[in-house]
Amino acid sequence: MELVCAPWGIVSWKFPNQGLNDVRRSFDSIALDIGGIAGFHAYHVVGWRKKKRDRSYRHWIMDNPEQLRGILPNYVSVIKGKNFNIPIAYANFLPPKLGEKEDKDDFFDSMRSLLKECVAECGKAGARYVIMRPLAVGIGERDVWEAGKEYYLSLAGIAKQYGVTILLESQYRINNGGIVRGLCSDPHEAKKWVDDLNNAAGFECFGFHLDIGTCSFLGQNMRDVAVMLGSRIKAVTLRDSDGTGDTAILPFTAVSGNRPRTDWLNIIRGLREISYDGLTIMNFAGTASITSPMLKPALIKYAREIGDFFAWQIDMENMLKRYEKRVLFGAGNMCRAYMKCYGEKYPPLFTCDNNKDKWGTEFCSLQVKSPEELKNLPKDCAVLICNMYYREIESQLRDMGIENPIGFFNDEYMPSFHFERIEDMEEENEARDWGTDAERA
Amino acid sequence: MKLGIGVQTQNALNDDCPIEGAKMLKEAGFDAVDFSLHRYLKNKDIYSFSINRFFEKTVEELEAFFTPHKEALEQVGIDVWQMHMPYPMYVPKGSRQLNEYLQKIVAPKSMRLCSFLDCKYIVIHGFKLAYYLGSEEKEWEATQAFLEELAPLAKSLNITMCIENLYDGIGGRAVEGPCCDAVKAASRIDAMNDKYGAEVLGFCFDTGHANLVHLDFEQFITTLESRLKVLHIHDNDGWRDLHQIPFAFTKTRENKSATDWEGFMRGLKNIGYRGTLNFETGPALTSFPDDMKGDTLKFIAGIGRYFARNIEKMS
Repeated sequence: MELVCAPWGIVSWKFPNQGLNDVRRSFDSIALDIGGIAGFHAYHVVGWRKKKRDRSYRHWIMDNPEQLRGILPNYVSVIKGKNFNIPIAYANFLPPKLGEKEDKDDFFDSMRSLLKECVAECGKAGARYVIMRPLAVGIGERDVWEAGKEYYLSLAGIAKQYGVTILLESQYRINNGGIVRGLCSDPHEAKKWVDDLNNAAGFECFGFHLDIGTCSFLGQNMRDVAVMLGSRIKAVTLRDSDGTGDTAILPFTAVSGNRPRTDWLNIIRGLREISYDGLTIMNFAGTASITSPMLKPALIKYAREIGDFFAWQIDMENMLKRYEKRVLFGAGNMCRAYMKCYGEKYPPLFTCDNNKDKWGTEFCSLQVKSPEELKNLPKDCAVLICNMYYREIESQLRDMGIENPIGFFNDEYMPSFHFERIEDMEEENEARDWGTDAERA
Repeated sequence: MKLGIGVQTQNALNDDCPIEGAKMLKEAGFDAVDFSLHRYLKNKDIYSFSINRFFEKTVEELEAFFTPHKEALEQVGIDVWQMHMPYPMYVPKGSRQLNEYLQKIVAPKSMRLCSFLDCKYIVIHGFKLAYYLGSEEKEWEATQAFLEELAPLAKSLNITMCIENLYDGIGGRAVEGPCCDAVKAASRIDAMNDKYGAEVLGFCFDTGHANLVHLDFEQFITTLESRLKVLHIHDNDGWRDLHQIPFAFTKTRENKSATDWEGFMRGLKNIGYRGTLNFETGPALTSFPDDMKGDTLKFIAGIGRYFARNIEKMS
């Protein structure tokens, strides 16, 4: 899985060097925000045209899309000069509403020209994907597919020419401040759009960008969204949200009490189920924006570690597949979770535990042995640590002279769960019996 | 056929003197009710394994208990359009004994009572099991098995069981719960009805739950088509399941309702909905002073008439 850093909140278009250098210390790949580079997103051009036109450092490319050819290569060369990959770009997009005096057709024509330039420049920059929102503004819901189809297909030729895949993403609309799911937020609809566009184009040049922040904001079951879209998902943006707004908080950090605000369980379940191996974009623009420049390198490094953790979780089953033979270390809840979800598919030879009382017993149909038994394993047999004290146990095994591959198994985000943890079972089962007649009266 | 206007009986029809509540509902302008059977075995009690003995009565005893309610409603000319079965019908960490009691005793007796009250539709919550079982599909399989236990009885009593879009909670936020996918719901309803050769399953669209997870009302309702049998109309702030009066919540300085009631009406128009516009706004009756209960009900019925007029007028 290729991890990509989104530039927002870190890299300034005007003075990019420090931000790019900070990112480069932790990431090999960065996303390109064409809207941000060239006059911000197109909607700024629409809404604030008069107010901000005098800011000389911005380029009003809606008026002259071909200017992109002059602007973008210079910026890309700065990025490439720092040995970054640029696998993906965000194209400009229009706002949910046009200004009263704006003519929809004029803007659509300008946008089409601009987006063709975007696709071409992305291809030249080496980007494989460009994220592109549909032109929905001013179009009735019943006509939006026909209009969208025509609009996207007009870009298919140039996308093919430059080897770029256009990624759709889900949208939402605002109804007097309330949020309503919009285009492609329904995975059935998104799937149909991608498939119909590829069929109409005659080749595969459309895919889907799954933005976890948007899905989470809309309260979606992300396991279902991921499974339904499957291999159409070419890029995933990870961002956390507190649920009150469309924010980009560092993943795994938005909390309510001691519970996560985002349904990471279902995201990981879904992506693991489809063996996702595409791009993963870390977008923590909100957190980065409020972080002092002094702390940003540390934040970016932590974001990278979070991305690696996420990739490791998604790849959990693939890790199990890599070893033909395996034993487990630990005879508790994590071992039980392993046996429930993966025991049949990837059966361990046995498990072992530091607790002497468990040696010689059976746990989840596995023999529990002393760690000393691991010294007799064939060299290619992996030891999968099923205990949260990973690093301590790994050191113990290495100190014992065990040279077998060691893997960490983790049950935080399992495909399914037991209803009870071991330690709660007996006690709680008694408590949960619904009592005697006298108690119920 | 004219669209009916209904409201749940919770906080309106009391057991001591049902005729009093029935008259108040009629005077307020309702011609139907959603019989709140769930208040006789409350969900918080089920979740805390504190089960009362109400449903241990025989069917005959239960029918006798509800005879005054039935007679009172008949006397004022109010139909029982729909009923709400107690919920949940499965407690993930509950004992086998508890879950069997819910599914094999409470559920069938609820169906009998539904029939006794001449009610055609009973709303049943799907099981919330996706966390444990791993997927919405497996969760549905468990719900489906339960519904299929009841389906022959539903067929014989000419009752349609209605599944409802629910939400779940993650870190203090609402996320999709069972039955939030209209496409899947439609196909599942068709499959079960085909299997039993009768309309044993339908859908209850809950506007409040839909608003919590930002569903597109119009698209959802339009996808369901004639499978949509009953409604739970109520409003909230998009954050908590408040069951308040529609149009009450605003989020901008323009003070327009933040809930997409236009989309709701368009959806009903699209499918030619001819059932009851039923309000699940029992909690609103306790948020206003008790002296205002009649006025509050009149106001709710007035909103129902507004919906009905506008749905009729839409082209």
